[in-house]
Amino acid sequence: MIEIIVFAPLLAAIVAGLGNRGLGNTVAKVVTTGALFLSCALSWPIFLGFLGGTAEPGVVPVLHWVQSGSLSFDWSLRVDTLTAIMLVVITSVSALVHLYSWGYMDEDPDQPRFFAYLSLFTFAMLMLVTANNLVQMFFGWEGVGLASYLLIGFWFRKPTANAAAIKAFVVNRVGDLGFMLGIFGLFLVFGTVSIPEILVAAPTAAGSSITFLGMRLSTLDILCFLLFIGAMGKSAQLGLHVWLPDAMEGPTPVSALIHAATMVTAGVFMVCRLSPLFELAPVASTIVTIIGAATCLFAATVGTTQWDIKRVIAYSTCSQLGYMFFAAGVGAYGAAMFHLFTHAFFKALLFLGAGSVIHAMHHEQDMRYYGNLRKEIPITFWAMMAGTLAITGVGILDVFGFAGFYSKDAILEAAYASGSEAGRTAFWLGAFAALLTSFYSWRLMFLTFWGRPRWALSEHIQHAVHHGHDDPDEANPPRQENSDMGEPHHVPSPDKGDGTAGYHPHESPWVMLIPLLILSVGAVFAGFVFHHQFIDSAAFWNGSIAYDEHLIHAMHDVPLWVKLTATIVMLVGLFIAWLGYLRDTSIPGKFADQLGPIYRFVYNKWYFDELYRLIFIRPAFWFGRQFWHAVDVGFIDRFGPNGVAELVDKGAYAAKRLQSGYLYSYALIMLLGLVAATSWFMVR
Amino acid sequence: MIGIEHYIVVSSILFVLGVLGIFLNRKNVIVILMAIELILLSVNINFVAFSAFLNDLVGQVFAMLVLTVAAGEAAIGLAILVIYYRSRGTIAVDDANRMKG
Amino acid sequence: MELTSSLGLIAPEILLSVAGLFLLLVAAWAGDRASSAISIAACVVLGAAFFLVAPSVCAGAAGLETVAFGGQFRADAFAGFAKLMIYAAAGAALVVAPAFFTRYAAMRAEYPVLVLFGTLGMSIMVSATDLLTLYIGLEMQSLAAYVLAAFLRPDQRSAEAGLKYFVLGALASGILLFGASLLYGFTGTTQFELMRVAMAGPISTGTLFGIVFVLAGLAFKISAVPFHMWTPDVYEGAPTPVTQFFATAPKVAAIALTARVALDAFGTHADAWRQVVIFAALASIVVGALGAIGQTNIKRLLAYSSINNVGFILIGLAAATPQGASAMLVYLVIYVAMSVGSFVAVLMLRDEDGAPVERLADLAGLSRTKPALAFCLAAMMFSLAGIPPLFGFWGKFVVFQAAVQADLVALAAIGIAASVIGAFYYIKVVKVMYFDEAVNVVRDRSDWAHWALLIISTALMSPLGYLLTGPLSVLADRAAASLFFLV
Repeated sequence: MIEIIVFAPLLAAIVAGLGNRGLGNTVAKVVTTGALFLSCALSWPIFLGFLGGTAEPGVVPVLHWVQSGSLSFDWSLRVDTLTAIMLVVITSVSALVHLYSWGYMDEDPDQPRFFAYLSLFTFAMLMLVTANNLVQMFFGWEGVGLASYLLIGFWFRKPTANAAAIKAFVVNRVGDLGFMLGIFGLFLVFGTVSIPEILVAAPTAAGSSITFLGMRLSTLDILCFLLFIGAMGKSAQLGLHVWLPDAMEGPTPVSALIHAATMVTAGVFMVCRLSPLFELAPVASTIVTIIGAATCLFAATVGTTQWDIKRVIAYSTCSQLGYMFFAAGVGAYGAAMFHLFTHAFFKALLFLGAGSVIHAMHHEQDMRYYGNLRKEIPITFWAMMAGTLAITGVGILDVFGFAGFYSKDAILEAAYASGSEAGRTAFWLGAFAALLTSFYSWRLMFLTFWGRPRWALSEHIQHAVHHGHDDPDEANPPRQENSDMGEPHHVPSPDKGDGTAGYHPHESPWVMLIPLLILSVGAVFAGFVFHHQFIDSAAFWNGSIAYDEHLIHAMHDVPLWVKLTATIVMLVGLFIAWLGYLRDTSIPGKFADQLGPIYRFVYNKWYFDELYRLIFIRPAFWFGRQFWHAVDVGFIDRFGPNGVAELVDKGAYAAKRLQSGYLYSYALIMLLGLVAATSWFMVR
Repeated sequence: MIGIEHYIVVSSILFVLGVLGIFLNRKNVIVILMAIELILLSVNINFVAFSAFLNDLVGQVFAMLVLTVAAGEAAIGLAILVIYYRSRGTIAVDDANRMKG
Repeated sequence: MELTSSLGLIAPEILLSVAGLFLLLVAAWAGDRASSAISIAACVVLGAAFFLVAPSVCAGAAGLETVAFGGQFRADAFAGFAKLMIYAAAGAALVVAPAFFTRYAAMRAEYPVLVLFGTLGMSIMVSATDLLTLYIGLEMQSLAAYVLAAFLRPDQRSAEAGLKYFVLGALASGILLFGASLLYGFTGTTQFELMRVAMAGPISTGTLFGIVFVLAGLAFKISAVPFHMWTPDVYEGAPTPVTQFFATAPKVAAIALTARVALDAFGTHADAWRQVVIFAALASIVVGALGAIGQTNIKRLLAYSSINNVGFILIGLAAATPQGASAMLVYLVIYVAMSVGSFVAVLMLRDEDGAPVERLADLAGLSRTKPALAFCLAAMMFSLAGIPPLFGFWGKFVVFQAAVQADLVALAAIGIAASVIGAFYYIKVVKVMYFDEAVNVVRDRSDWAHWALLIISTALMSPLGYLLTGPLSVLADRAAASLFFLV
């Protein structure tokens, strides 16, 4: 069964990818989407089995993979609680995204390629989560990276999309280097790459130390830190996060699947999978906590200032991943996985909803040109509303809450309950980030769905109005409004007519709305239904992650104000957003003017891109140019190919000159040869 | 007493003269034919001298053969020269460089 | 008794000489009208000689029973192997000729007779084990060749080619003969076997001169650098069928003769001449490759190509081992097939008026006007360049393998590197055919003999040729072993 779940997407990807245009759009779509729904349908029973406590963890061997000296491992599919959770998340979101793409990509000429990539991605992701050894996990890790690269750059005629794809790839390589070093190190220390064997042997290595970069360090700390660098790259944590916002150049369904629900959570999954190892590495865990909390806050601040609807959600994703990491860092792996689980639903929902909005607004992504869409696209609105309620964590203690309410609360409580310095810091940072989360989420909602229409100044809308709605030019690619559009006071004044420019947004087709509705159900109920098992049940986890009973007890015993913190900051954020974006829309502009430098700092994403450009990219280019000019052109080419070619050319000229055509010179050369040979013999 | 060395020296001188005749002469192909004859003559002197010196008849037989072949060679050389003269109207060595490079 | 067995051993040569004389009489009597009949008769004679020789090659004849006329002549498997190639190449030169000469009304009856006499000379050369026999064979071949080079009498270039070939050839045989006389004087014998014995131990200056002069004379015949100067001019000027003949049969004969002289007569002093052979080999490879690059005439280009190929064959000689000799023979078979194929392809090129086309530029766009011809010629070029999977690669491979086995690793490495230069101009020909715009219409005369030869050689050079590697190396190994059989 697990084999079908994993390999059905691969088969579908091969069929759709090789068949490509010969196969036709419909066949490719049906094959890939059908395969994904099959996988999804088979995944839920496995998950429910673990939920009901009837299923047992197991490993299904596929084939013997590598046997080289002491390095030996199989290609196998591991199924336990952790894998089962990931299975349902991946297959459900992927299946829904496939379906959604029927509508969203309807006008695209390269649909078979798109669906093949999506299915290929799903296969690689499943490979990653079913891995029973680190090499197979690395295969999946790289596979999702490849698929992500291909999908970000799907509209390869768009230069920004290519740049974003390359950026994602390069930044991920930095993380992958850490991951690889971590795997090598684990093999060096434990002599195996099998995850269960490493976890069993890990306690024996606790307390030992290793020399790394000339420093004497705790073995497990350094190994876990290296692994975490890999997780940082994949999960866009502070420092290696720069690729994620740019990855929004890809089609929106891709953002929903890869850059919100699944791939970016691979880092969290990996840390949870190796949680017994991280438990033995206190320093590394502290680093995880701090980086996670810092990312959480950083991304949330940036999210409050962005205008591009997808970028806001992208920074939100980055921020939520920070939550997961600091939960894992303080030892609450169950809470981290729970947030991963709920986040997958509501964040995919938000992205797909944003896609629906973008679809309705004729590829306009700038929220400054939205407004009052509530009445035009009501179903999308209600779905987005469900997602927003979930992400901001709306709920009443012990009665009912939306998905994020349970998971985010659990994380904050765990951070507080851990008692450590880092944990407390993370709690406060997380709480403040929750306020910002509420603010930017409601800001998005208010700007998009409330207020007056501000569509008239959008180039996309004007283009649509003047050229008819189904202009084929618009099919590919949608031009993205850049985030550096300018300051918010450029927002067109609402006095100008009714602001609609005569444009009528249209609700998306049902293939796009059905996934929204299904995910809405998940966003509303996932937390309520599953929080007992994820947070409180050691039996549910069944040893697949490190489960700290003491921490759970401490979580339940935290003061009431801690439990209420999330709700309070949510309400504060909602109030500020209401104040600034509904009641008096001039407030944000004034605020930004008064706090000019800080606003610009945040708006420009803390200048990370500029910093990296200065310290990494430009020196790298400089080195590249030096090597190119001095070494390659100046030395290798000059004395290598070009030098030899020139020598041959001169030789050919000389040979031609020597062949003068005169008898006596021919005879002379023969004689010279004879004399030379004779003299050589004589002196020898 | 005239020893074998003297014969070798003479024949060598003749040989060198013949060779020089081929590539020092730039005027006339006929001279080249004569130079070739000179080379063959020097060879014959060698053969006969060695034959006498070694008391071995093979050298003299060889010399007879060389003489015969030289005659054939001269005939063919002259024939080619005639063809050449007919088509080009000259037998100057300098002119025979239609093909080169 | 001795005479009878000797006569039996030289049966192919007797057949050739008698048939040659008879056909000469017929030619003198019947005139040019009988030229085609004489051609056919000559072909039949060559075929008969081929089948007379074949058994000894298959049986790997070696030893005393192959020695004729008291050590002057040896009909062993090595000679037989070379003779088979010579007869086949001579036959090919006869078959392609009529279509070429008819255009100039120059298909004279003497052509097949001259080819027959030249073949007789070569046949004697490869069997010679005495300086006397060597000289007779060499001169017989040369005299026929001089005439053939100038055969197209109205053509100025043909006459010039004949003149140059004659003068330089006579100089070369003079040098060889002078060396032979010195060898005779200082060793007291003209037979290779006895010479070998006489040379054992330190050698005198006179003998040394003799060795150098003889080798120099032979180097001229195989057109090894620096005695190659005549080759491009003669190949260009001679009528194309004659050029094809020159590039194949006399090359085989001269190389086989050189191998026998070097390995048999001078065999005890291999270390002395090896350095010179190595130099000549590398110089031939490089000069041949460099010279070919600047050429615009296909025949001239192929002349440099043959110089280049001789260099590779000399690498096999430098090894001075049975493997080396065997590799030389294998290379020669492949080289002959490639040369025949290339020259036949050139012969098939005609412009609109039917005049032969020789310039490289005229090949432009051949892939579109004559795709089959272009394909075959391209296969020849790739094979000459030694690019796998074509059969030309195998020849280079066995030669380098022999060199490596003889501990001449540096030589093999330099040879391989230098063969890269050669690839340049071979592939340039392909480029011109396949990628250049056609400038003038080339039409081939669909002579069946041309097509047959071209298809046979293309099939040989195709990867199908590798089917032959087994029997070919068995025969070549036996032939090489017979060369090293000391009486």
